[in-house]
This record gives sequence, C-alpha cells and structure tokens, in this order.
Amino acid sequence: MAGSLWHRFPTLLIARRNLTRTRLRSLLAMLGIVIGVLAIASLGVFGSTLQTSVTGSLGDIGNQLVVSPSGQNNVTYLTDQDVRDITRVAGDASVIPVRQGVATLDVHGTSQRVTVYGMERPAGAYNASEGRIPDPLRSGALVGATLADNQNLQAGDSIAVDGKTYRVRAVLESQQAFSPINPDGAVILPLRDVEGTGYSSVVVTADTGPAANETAIAIRAALNEREKRVTIFEFGNIVQQIRSVFNAVNLFLIGIGSISLVVAGVSILNVMLMSAIERREEIGVLRAVGYQRTDVLRIMLAEALLLGVIGGGIGAVLSVAGGLVINQFIVGDWSAVFTVGNLFYILVALAFGVVTSVLSGLYPAYKSANERPVDALRK
Amino acid sequence: MGASEADEGAADGDATAGGGSWTGPVLEARDVVKRYETGGETIEALKGVSLAAHPGEFIAVMGPSGSGKSTLLNLLGLLDEPTEGAVYLDGEDTSTLTERARTTARKQTIGFVFQNFYLIPTLSALENVEIPRLLDHDPDREDRAAELLERVGLGERLTHKPGELSGGQKQRVAIARALINDPRVLLADEPTGNLDQETGASVLEDFAAICREGVAVIAVTHDEMVTEHTDRTVTLIDGLVRSDEPSAGRRRADGHDPGPRGPGDGR
Repeated sequence: MAGSLWHRFPTLLIARRNLTRTRLRSLLAMLGIVIGVLAIASLGVFGSTLQTSVTGSLGDIGNQLVVSPSGQNNVTYLTDQDVRDITRVAGDASVIPVRQGVATLDVHGTSQRVTVYGMERPAGAYNASEGRIPDPLRSGALVGATLADNQNLQAGDSIAVDGKTYRVRAVLESQQAFSPINPDGAVILPLRDVEGTGYSSVVVTADTGPAANETAIAIRAALNEREKRVTIFEFGNIVQQIRSVFNAVNLFLIGIGSISLVVAGVSILNVMLMSAIERREEIGVLRAVGYQRTDVLRIMLAEALLLGVIGGGIGAVLSVAGGLVINQFIVGDWSAVFTVGNLFYILVALAFGVVTSVLSGLYPAYKSANERPVDALRK
Repeated sequence: MGASEADEGAADGDATAGGGSWTGPVLEARDVVKRYETGGETIEALKGVSLAAHPGEFIAVMGPSGSGKSTLLNLLGLLDEPTEGAVYLDGEDTSTLTERARTTARKQTIGFVFQNFYLIPTLSALENVEIPRLLDHDPDREDRAAELLERVGLGERLTHKPGELSGGQKQRVAIARALINDPRVLLADEPTGNLDQETGASVLEDFAAICREGVAVIAVTHDEMVTEHTDRTVTLIDGLVRSDEPSAGRRRADGHDPGPRGPGDGR
C-alpha cells in the first residue's frame, strides 16, 4: 500500500531513494530541522503555558470593575446618587457599594487593627468556604480567609469589632485575584455598622470581560461627563496588559528558536550542495536520457521537502510531548497543552521548518537543474 | 473528444517518424564546427564534420584523443550545440529546438551508453534500467526493464546492485537502460574502454544485434577491435574526417553484407 503510494509520486520516490543513499548525512540535516522546529514550538508552548498559569488566576476577575472617587473636584466619596447612576447603566451586572474603614478587632482576648468593609449585599461578589452569606447582610460579620486562618476563626464564633460583638456568619473563600478590595485579611460588616459618609468604592461584577468593559465605558459616560467624579479600576485591562507582555515574551522566545531554524536551513543548504556536487554526473545522465530541467529541479526540491516534512513532523511530535511535560509541571494538568494557541505555535513551527528546508534546497536544485549535461559528463 | 484524439495521433506520427515518408538518415551532422573558449584561447574541436547514420547502421568513430570524436558524439546526442553547421534528426534541423524540446527529442530518439556506465550504485540493476522512464506513469515499465535485462543476458541479476556486477555486466545494464525508451539511435562512448577483450567483444555483439532491429549505433572509440563489428568506420583527426569507409574487418554475425553506403542513398 505504502509502496504503491510512493510509486504514484515517482519524484518523491526518487527523492527518498536519494536521501537514503547518504543516510547519516540526511539524518543530521533532518536533525537540524527537528531541533529548530522543536525550539520554536516548545518555546511557544512554554510561553503560552506560563501565560495560562499566570492569567488563569486573573481570568476570573476580568469581569470585575472597582469604581472609586476620583479625588478631584472635592469628590472623596461616592454618594447614593452615584450608586443609582452606576446601577442604572450597569444593566445586569451586580453593583455592590462598599464603605471601607479601619477598626479594632478583638478575638479570644487578643486585639488587632483590621480593615473593615461595609457592604449590603456581599453575596453578589464573594463565596463562603464555611457557613452561609446572608443576602442582604443585616447582622453578623463575614471573615476573610487569611484572617480566619490566623485567628483560628470559624462560622459561629463571636468577635468584637470596635467593642461591638458580632457573630461570624461565614468565612470567605480565599481570593486568588489581585484587587484594591481584598477581603482576605478583612472583616465584612453590614453597611450601616461601618462609620463614614457615602461609599469609598463600588464593585461592579459583570457576566463577562467584554461586558465589564462596556459597563466601564457606560459608567464613565454617565458620571464623568461634566467633571471627573470617578476612576475605574478595570481588571480586564490588567489581564490584557499581562497578556500582551507575555505575547512579547513569547515572540522573543520564538525569535530565539528561529535562529536555530536558520542554522538548520544552512545545514540543509550545505547537504544539498554536497549531494548536488557528488551527483553531478548522475544528474548529467538523467538529463541526457530525457529528464527535463524541471524534473531535476522537482526531484531536488522534493528531497528538501522530505527533509523538512519528516524533520518538522518529528520536531512537532517531540514538542507536543515536551508540552505535556511542561503543562504537567506548571499548570498541573497535562491536557492543558491541547489549546488552539499551542496548536498554532506547533503548526507555525512546522510550517517554518518546511519552508526553511525548501528555501535552502532552492539554490542547489536550481544549480543542478541548469547545468548543461555535456559539462556534467565531461571527464 | 474522440476526434481530437485522432488528430493528436496523426500529429504524433508526423513528429516522431519525421513522417513515415522520411527515408534518409535518422541522425545527421552537416558541416558541424565546434569552438570552445578556454582561458582566452579558442580551441576548434571540430572543423567541419559531416556524418549520417541510417537506421540499422553500426558506425565506429575512431581517432586519437583530442581528435574531436567525443565532441561529435555530444553534438549528435543533442547534448551540445554546434558553433556552425547543424544536426538533423529525421531530416529536421535541431538547432531551432528549445532546451525542453531537445530534451524530449533525446528521450524519444537517442539512447546513451557511457564509458563509465554511470549506474546509480544504490539501485538494483532493474531499477537502474527503469530510471529513464521513472517519471512516466507506465505500468509496464518494470516488465520491460526485466525483459531488456534478460535480453542482454542478465535475467538472473535483476536485483543485484552495480557493485555486485562485473564490468561487462555493468555495461550491459547500461545498454538495457539505453534501450528502455526504444531509441532509434544508440550512442556509445568508448563502450569497450573499461572491458577486457572477450567481454568487449560480446558487448559489441549485443550492439550488432540491436542494429539488426533497425537501430543506428554510433560508437566512439579508439579500440581497433570495435571496427570488426561495425559497418562503417569514420576516422577523425584534428577535427576533420580523415576517412569514411566500410569497416575493414567487418564480419557481421548474420553474415549479411550491407554494402557501402553514404548519406542520402535512402535505405
């Protein structure tokens, strides 16, 4: 079956025969392509794996916005009117006004200063790891994961904040994300229990990143039209910036990988030139018995193509294997290698490998094809 | 569609046989001159040579080295172009042909046998014979190659690599390779040059047998023995034909005496 396939493409058959004549040399030339493709593909996969692992922890909050008073034009807090405006333009997104303060926390006889957040409906933004978050929060306190861990607090315990006693209704899940509103080390109380005027910030959680982005635009339009009342902290922007940094790093890594492919190309050029010189008389005979110039050109290019396709194929398979290992170690899930991005890197590397080979074969092939048979056969 | 195929067939007939009507020499050099430029110096390898080969004729081209006989063979084989004069294939001037058309003409008309055989060492005898037809989608190629090898007495050696064959056997593989395209002219450069006397004689016997099938054979040589098998001996000296006469010791295996022939007597 395979045999008949070869015979259907005699040019490839001849090319394969020619390559297997100098097996070691062909293998070494192919090794160059293998390494080049492996370098490009695996550096690309490595970069995108790193990106996945870093942005994975940021990915959840790409749909969050934190609206804060701008600090300009005497705006030092947000009013109920601001919150109503935000709610009006935010559509389906959940809007949680927050009043931030600092209070003294007494637990089991020890005392410390902690951040407190006053929220009416924290259930819209946070999840409990223990206990249940009442919605709305009218009484009791929620404790951040880090604080609960340090103070050995559990749902149902009693704590005192600024002398007032609260029952712990829930311990919050640990927050992966980096955010100006981070309840990990803080206590969340009902809004009216936190001193202050208005709100220190508003957390808006949309369904998706793009929706959050649109909401941010809408909020700016609604509140900042006449004067700059608010600044908006967009997580999506940060995620995007981090992504673009990683893309740059990736390109850099791939650039380094391509250097090895250039070296591989030179080595193929060398091998093909050598074999063109060695086979000079033979090519002369082929031309004499009726092979056209284009036939010779095609045979030589097919040799380069075979080197590129086989070498590139091996390189691609090896880089998938390498990607499995890298993902197992960095992300902890080997199957994470099968993403569209990684497939793209591998295909691009393979394509570069094949193109490099064929380009390198072009000059020797041209040279062989255009030599006059009478010169090639001159003794 | 059927009509156009018939047209093509007619056109083919015209092209290959020079018309079934052409009865002159299959290959002819008329007053060819070949000059080379080497390091500012002009060397005139051929100074006006004419030679015609009729179907079935076996011609020896003799001469000392430097006499221009290899150059003449290259011109006749359409591997090179004369500086002056022209080579005619079936009576048609080949100097106007494109490179591609010349290559096609070589493939359809001319078989080459080289002194150094030029077999591909990693291919079997059979595969070496198939080489000229390898790019054609020809299902009978392998059978035909085997048949040709059997004919030159190598039926038992089909799968042997050239390294496993003797000099005479290699030369026979080369002959079979030259015959696979059904040439009407066989050009041989020193066909006995690398062979001992006995092997050389039997190779020449093969050539004579090929001639009897109507193929013109031109052998360039400085081996006197070759002339024992040829019809005509052309002697070149310093780029000129010194003599062109029936071979002195001609003794064709079929005992047939073709008699003296010159260009244009239309056999």
